[in-house]
Amino acid sequence: MSSRPDSTVVDRQYGSALSGNADDAAAMLVGAVKRYGFGQSAVVALDDVTIGFPAGKFTAVMGPSGSGKSTMMHCAAGLDQLTSGRAFVGNTDLSALDDRELTRLRRERIGFVFQAFNLVATLTAEENICLPLTLSGRRPNAAVLDEVVSLLRLGDRMHHRPTELSGGQQQRVAVARALVAQPQVVFADEPTGNLDTRSGQEILGFLRSAVDRHHQSIVMVTHDPNAAAWADHVVFVVDGRVHDVIDHPSADSVIDVMKGLGR
Amino acid sequence: MRSAARSVLASRGRFVLTGAAITLSVAFLVATLVLSDSMRGRAAGDIAEALAGTDAVVQGVVLGEPGGGPGDPERSVRRSLDSDITERVATVDGVDGAASQWVGFAKLVVDGSSVGTGTASDVGRNWVADPALNPFRLARGRPPAEVGEIVIDRSLAGDAGLAPGDVVQVLTTTGIHDATITGVATFASADAAPLQRTVLLPDGAVSAWLDTAAPTEVLVDVAEGADRAEVLDRLSELTEAEVIDGPDHIRTMQDVATSPLQFLTVFLLAFAVVAVLIGVTIIFNTFALTVARRRRESALLRAIGAERRQLLGGVVIEAALVGTIATLVGLVCGVAGVGALRWLVGLAGITLLTGPTIVSTTSIAVAATVGIGATILSAWIPARRAAATPPIEALRESAAEARVVSPARTASGLVLAAVAIAGGAVAVLRSSAAWVVLVVAIVPALVLCGPAIVTAAARGSARVARRVAGVGGSIAAGNLAASPRRSASTALALMLGTAMVTMFGIFATSLTSAVGTDVRDGLQADLVVTSATADFPTIDPTLAGRIAALPEVDAVAALSIAEGIVAGKAEAIGGIDPTALPTLFDLDPIAGDLADLSEGGVAVVGDDPTLLGGTLAIEFEGSTLEAPIVAVVARSTGGFEAPLYFVDRATLDASVGRLLDALLFVNLADGAVAADEDVRALVRATPGSFFETRTEHVANSGSEIAAFRNFIDGMLLLAGFIALLGVANTTALAINERSGELGLLRAVGATRRELRRIVRLEVALLSFVAASIGIAVAFGFGWALIDVTGGAEIPSVVVPWSRLAVTLVVAVAAGVVAAAWPAFRVSRVPVLELAGRDR
Repeated sequence: MSSRPDSTVVDRQYGSALSGNADDAAAMLVGAVKRYGFGQSAVVALDDVTIGFPAGKFTAVMGPSGSGKSTMMHCAAGLDQLTSGRAFVGNTDLSALDDRELTRLRRERIGFVFQAFNLVATLTAEENICLPLTLSGRRPNAAVLDEVVSLLRLGDRMHHRPTELSGGQQQRVAVARALVAQPQVVFADEPTGNLDTRSGQEILGFLRSAVDRHHQSIVMVTHDPNAAAWADHVVFVVDGRVHDVIDHPSADSVIDVMKGLGR
Repeated sequence: MRSAARSVLASRGRFVLTGAAITLSVAFLVATLVLSDSMRGRAAGDIAEALAGTDAVVQGVVLGEPGGGPGDPERSVRRSLDSDITERVATVDGVDGAASQWVGFAKLVVDGSSVGTGTASDVGRNWVADPALNPFRLARGRPPAEVGEIVIDRSLAGDAGLAPGDVVQVLTTTGIHDATITGVATFASADAAPLQRTVLLPDGAVSAWLDTAAPTEVLVDVAEGADRAEVLDRLSELTEAEVIDGPDHIRTMQDVATSPLQFLTVFLLAFAVVAVLIGVTIIFNTFALTVARRRRESALLRAIGAERRQLLGGVVIEAALVGTIATLVGLVCGVAGVGALRWLVGLAGITLLTGPTIVSTTSIAVAATVGIGATILSAWIPARRAAATPPIEALRESAAEARVVSPARTASGLVLAAVAIAGGAVAVLRSSAAWVVLVVAIVPALVLCGPAIVTAAARGSARVARRVAGVGGSIAAGNLAASPRRSASTALALMLGTAMVTMFGIFATSLTSAVGTDVRDGLQADLVVTSATADFPTIDPTLAGRIAALPEVDAVAALSIAEGIVAGKAEAIGGIDPTALPTLFDLDPIAGDLADLSEGGVAVVGDDPTLLGGTLAIEFEGSTLEAPIVAVVARSTGGFEAPLYFVDRATLDASVGRLLDALLFVNLADGAVAADEDVRALVRATPGSFFETRTEHVANSGSEIAAFRNFIDGMLLLAGFIALLGVANTTALAINERSGELGLLRAVGATRRELRRIVRLEVALLSFVAASIGIAVAFGFGWALIDVTGGAEIPSVVVPWSRLAVTLVVAVAAGVVAAAWPAFRVSRVPVLELAGRDR
C-alpha cells in the first residue's frame, strides 16, 4: 500500500479546506482525473482534483448540475474508479485495492446515505441499521446502537419495515445505518433531496450533532445552500475542478459564491 | 411497430430467454403432432392400400371387448367360424371370390433363437392366392406351396438377414416346425404390417401349425356390377357371423393398428401441454415485469395524451413479434426434431417409427396458433392491467408489485382445494372413479393460492434462513414475499414439473410392484423358464417333461394361459397342475382348496373369501366353461399377463385345444450341483423359452415398465429444462427490478459472492417450496387415482420414497443451477451502475 503524499502539496493548493495537519484528512483525492468515454466524445468529470476532507468535520460539496460533485464523492468513497490519480480513505490507497478489499473497506470504514434506494425493503429498520455490521460478521455495539437510535428518535420504529415508515423516518434509518458502525467517514449524496423542509432540517441536525458530539467525519453532496450552511466547510466544484472553498458558511455566503459561479 | 421492434432489440437477453421458452414448447408440440401423424398416417395408409381389394369381411361374433387394463388383451375376442364357411360364402350370389384368412401366433426362429423383440407381435397367416384379396405382395421368390415352405415379410428378412432358400424354424402354438423360405413379401408397399412381424404359410399347413379348426375371417370380393348392400345382406343371412363392409373393416383395422400409438400420443400431448403451460407462465412473467418496469413511461405517455389502446397495442405488437419469431423457429426445430423424439419414444420399445415424416398443415396450424396465441394472450393480460391504472397514480407509485395478497383470491383457492381434497377422499372411501374428477380442481386452487403459499413459506422460512445464511437469508426469504404473484407463477412451472415426475413415479412404482409383488412373495421355485414375449406363451409343451426327466430335478410345474371372456371382458385364464404348483409357487389360497381344480373347478384371484361356492362362466372362442368356484387365492403368478382365474390344465386344454406353456417353475433336488446348468442348456436349445434363476425372475418381472420409465424420464427432462429456463428468466428479471436495492447492498459492503448467494438462496427456497408442493399434490392425486382405478392390476399404492427425495433434491439443485447465470451477471455489474440504473 503506497503512503500518502507529502501533506504540503495539499496545503499549498487548498490549505484553507484543511484545518490543521493533512494527516487528519478522513478522505483525500490526489490528482484525481475521471474521464467518461474516449476520444472526441470524452467527458472530463474530474480534472486533476487534489483535495482532502478533514477528519471530524462536516464538509459540504456544492456545484451546478454536471459539475462533477457526485463523481468526486463516488470516487472518494470507492464506488467508482478514477481514470488517473489516487484516492485515499485514511491512509489506504483505494487504487491498490481489488473488488473484495474495496467492499470490505466500504462496509468497515465508510458509511453511506443516498437520496433514494437507501433501505433494503425486506429487512426491518433495525436489520437495515445493522446491515453493514452483520455483513462483516460483527455484532453492533449495544451502547452505540442505543445512542444512535435515541439520537435519531427511532426507538419505536425498530421493527417496522421501510414501507411502513415515512420518508423522513426512512432517511433517519439510513443515517443511523451510516453512523452505527462508527466509520472513518460518512458520505451523504443529497440526503435531503427527497424530503420536505422539516424532515430535511432534522436530518441535517442529526448529521451536525454526530460531528459535534462524536467527531464523525462527514462529506455531503448537496445543491441546497441551506443544507450546506450546516457544514464546517463548503467545497465548490465547477467543470470538474475545485473552484472555491469557504469555511464556516452561512446560507447567504454560500448563495453569494453560487451567484459568482452562475455567470 | 418500429418502437416495439426497438424495445425487443434493446432487451435482447430477456427476449432470447422468453423466446427460447416459446420455441421449445412449440417445437415439442409440433414434433409430437408430426410424429403421431406420421406413425398413424403410415399405418393407416398401408392398411388402406393393403385391404383395398377386399369388399367385405366375414368374422365371428364378438364375445367380449378388450379389458383396457395394462395386462388385458388388446383385441376383442370372437366366436370361431364354421370350418366350411369359405365354401358357403363363395356360393352366395354376387360373390366373385372368397378367401379364408387364418391368423395365429407364429414366431420366426433362426439358428435356435427367435427373431424380433419390442412391441410388435408375431403373426402367422396363410398366403391368400387371390392377389385382389391378399394384403401381402410378393417382393422376391415365390409363394409357399408345400407344408414346410414359408414367405416372410421384408422387415423380418432384413432384420435376420434372410433370403429365399434359407432354412429356418417357425414356433407356433403347436410347437416348433422346420421351414424353408420361398419368398419375401411386403404389406402393400410397406416392409411389414403395422406393429406386426408376419410369417405367411401355405393353406395346407395353416390349420395344423396355427392350431385352429376354422379360418379367422373370410375375405370377400364382390362381383362387379352386383349391389354390394344386397350381397352383404345375403352374406349375413348365411350363418351366425358378422359381415363387415370393406371400408368399415379398413377403419377398424386402422384403429386396432394405431391404438397402441393412441396411448403414446396422449402421453406425448400431455407433456406438450405441460411444456406449453410452462412456456406461458414464463411469457406471462416476462411481460408482467416488462410492463411494470415501463409503467412510469406508459403513465407519462398517457399523461401527454396517448390512448389506452395505443399503449396496449405497443405491448401486443411486441409480444406478437417475439411470439412469431420464436414460433417460427420452434416449428422448424420441431419438424427437424421429430427424429430426436423418435429416439426418445424408441426408449419405450416402440418400433413402428420408420417411414416418411408427415407434416400436416393442421399440425403446423395448431402449433403456430398455440405459440403465437399464448404469447399474445400472456402479454395482453398484464398490459391491460397496467393500462387500466390512472396515469397520475402510475407516475406516483413505485413500479414494484403490491405485496398484499388478495384474500378473496386465496379464499376461492382454498375452497377449490377443499373441493379437490374432499373429492379425493370420497373417491377413495367409496371407490368410485367419478369423484376423482373433482381432484383436478387442485390445479386452479394452486394457481389461486400460489401467492399466499409463497408468502407463508417465505415468512415461515425466514427465521431458519436467517440462522443458516445470516442476513442474506433474511433478504432472500423477504424477496420471495416481496413479489408473491411473480414468485408463485415461477413456482407453478416447477410445481407442474415435479408433480408430473411424482405422478409417474408413483404410478410406475406401484405398477412394477404390483407386477413384482406376487412373484417376490409367491415364487418358491429355484428356476423359472419364461416365454419370448409377455403377451404370448411360447414355451414348447414338451419342455416341462424333458426338464422333469433330468437328474437332480425335483419338481416341474407349467402354467398355460388362454384368453377367455368373463362377464363380458377378455381375461387371461391360467391352466395349472393343482398338485405340483403349490410347492413351486404359493398362490396363497384364502378359501377352498386348489386340489379341487382337478374335478373341473375354478380358482379366483381376489381377497373376498365369500366368492367360494359360486359359479363362474368362462366363454372361449369355441366353447363355454361353467365351473364352480372351489378356491379363492390371494395372488396370481405375477407378470403383466398374470391370469385372474385358474383352472386345471386339462380343463383348459379341453376348452381351447392344445396350448404352449407361458411359464415353467422348476425345483432342484436338495444338494443339486450342476442341475441348473443342465436345465439352462436344455432351455437354450429350445426356441421360445428363456432361462432365469429365481433372483433373475424376480428382478425381471416389471422390466417392461422400466423401459417405459426411461421414456418418461426423457420427457420429464425436457419439461424440467423448460421450467428451468423460466426460473432463469424470472430471476434475471427480478434482479433487474431490484437493481437499486442490490446496488445499495454492494455500497454498504456486501461482496459479489454474498449477492450471488442471496440470489441462489432465494431460488433454492422457491424451488424447494414448489417441488414440495408439487410432490405433495401429485402424491395425493396419484394415490387417489391408483386407489380408485388401479383395480386388480395395481392393488396397492407403493411410494417411491427415494425417488421422491431425489426429485426434491434435483429440483432444488436445478433451480440453483438455473439461477447461477443471473447471479453471475448481477455480481459482475459495477456498484454504481446498479445503484444508478433506475434513477
